[in-house]
Amino acid sequence: MIGQLRSELLKQRSTQTALYLFLAMFGLVALAITLHVVTLGAGDLASRARQLEVFQVGSRAGMLFAGLAGAIAITAEIRYGTIRPTFLITPRRGPVIAAKLAISGLVGLVFGLLAEGLMVGDAAAAFAVRGIGNQLTSGDYLQLLAGGAAAAALWAAAGVGVGALVRNQVGALVGLCAWMFVIESTFESFLPSVGRLLPGGAGLALAGNSDELSAGVAALLLVLYAAVAAAGGWRATLRRDIA
Amino acid sequence: MAEQMLTVAGPGEPPPRQAVVRCRALTKRYGTLTAVDNVTFSLEPGTVTGVLGPNGAGKTTTLRLLLGLAEPTAGEALVFGRRYRELDQPARQVGAVLESTDFHPGRNGRDHLGALALAAGFPLARVEEVLEQVELTGAARRRVRTYSLGMRQRLGLAAALLGNPQLLILDEPANGLDPAGVRWLRLFLQKLAAQGRTVLVSSHVLAEVAQTVDQVLIIDRGHLLARGRLDELTGNGQTLEDVYLELTGGEVA
Repeated sequence: MIGQLRSELLKQRSTQTALYLFLAMFGLVALAITLHVVTLGAGDLASRARQLEVFQVGSRAGMLFAGLAGAIAITAEIRYGTIRPTFLITPRRGPVIAAKLAISGLVGLVFGLLAEGLMVGDAAAAFAVRGIGNQLTSGDYLQLLAGGAAAAALWAAAGVGVGALVRNQVGALVGLCAWMFVIESTFESFLPSVGRLLPGGAGLALAGNSDELSAGVAALLLVLYAAVAAAGGWRATLRRDIA
Repeated sequence: MAEQMLTVAGPGEPPPRQAVVRCRALTKRYGTLTAVDNVTFSLEPGTVTGVLGPNGAGKTTTLRLLLGLAEPTAGEALVFGRRYRELDQPARQVGAVLESTDFHPGRNGRDHLGALALAAGFPLARVEEVLEQVELTGAARRRVRTYSLGMRQRLGLAAALLGNPQLLILDEPANGLDPAGVRWLRLFLQKLAAQGRTVLVSSHVLAEVAQTVDQVLIIDRGHLLARGRLDELTGNGQTLEDVYLELTGGEVA
């Protein structure tokens, strides 16, 4: 199993995929924070609750890009055919998926930390430029970093599962983006009582961006989602023929 | 009739005990399409066998079934007496290349091999040895997207050789190679065979097969039509091409 983990880590390190994902995430966070801080009135940004809402962008970006990284970890192998040599070397496929879940979780954790860090830095700078007082407590920052990182790690594991189920790379990536930005925000707007329970909503609660759920319930829900997606992907990968 | 000269495949004959590869009544159906239909054969150690057949004949599917990438609908496909997935150390026993394009274009050759070596628990020094063996040491740090087709074929071979296996299974390794690449591959396979390894190689390049293998399996539309030693098949003055075209109908699909 150590060998599988090292193999998976080398696969992650030996392409530029993670770097490009990070740059895209960086761009998204910077754009979003600029738009928020420039367009919202100073009064709208004055309260701690409103500021935490602005910081949602960092948590959302961390979860989404972690999910994308997880999905790419398996769909890139299918897309480029390296799944064949991978399963020829390790024909019992379970350990391969387990290593992908573990290493993608780790990568997701890093994405979550970076996203929250970027967000905190960008927003603090933007608040300072506009002369808006920063209302966040050190406890808020701690929950953003720890909760955001944990949520992103779980999204990454779920991403591996979704990728293993969908298999088509474009389909998996578009599906995850649509989930985060279309489906979740639709629920959030029209059925918030359900939206807060979805993977994105639960992640926001875990990172402290919303108080719709307690952090404990949010963590439990996210673990459940990740476990279900991972189990589905695991089962599909063990049973399906490789073309 | 050609059949009289051939050992026509039949499930009746007992396979030799020491068979390295053994397929028994192997069948794979995809919906209504039967890709592999009741194929039975076995390969003894040290033989170099060519699997011949037109495109879509079932060659690749047979190899995928042998290698545990697909599950048979019926029958069994065994290597060293076991299903591939049940081998203790598959990478040390079997080396295989199914597609010459199975690389991440943005990963370099050394890291491609490194990821496979780590997964199998081989030391990374083994990567340098196989790079040397296929003459890719100089290109090891380049991304695979810059490799020629011949270099990709060799990188695939290097991966198959990581575990120094006794059985090599190669699907269309000569496909798309230029004459120098084909010659390199032929000499390389002959060298591996001379070391006593068993080689199973599929191809539709008959001239190439005739120079490399000592026995052939001819497959068409999922059926094993003939198997035998090359010198037996071509014994009555027929070329391999004559025999092949007679058996497979010879019409351009």
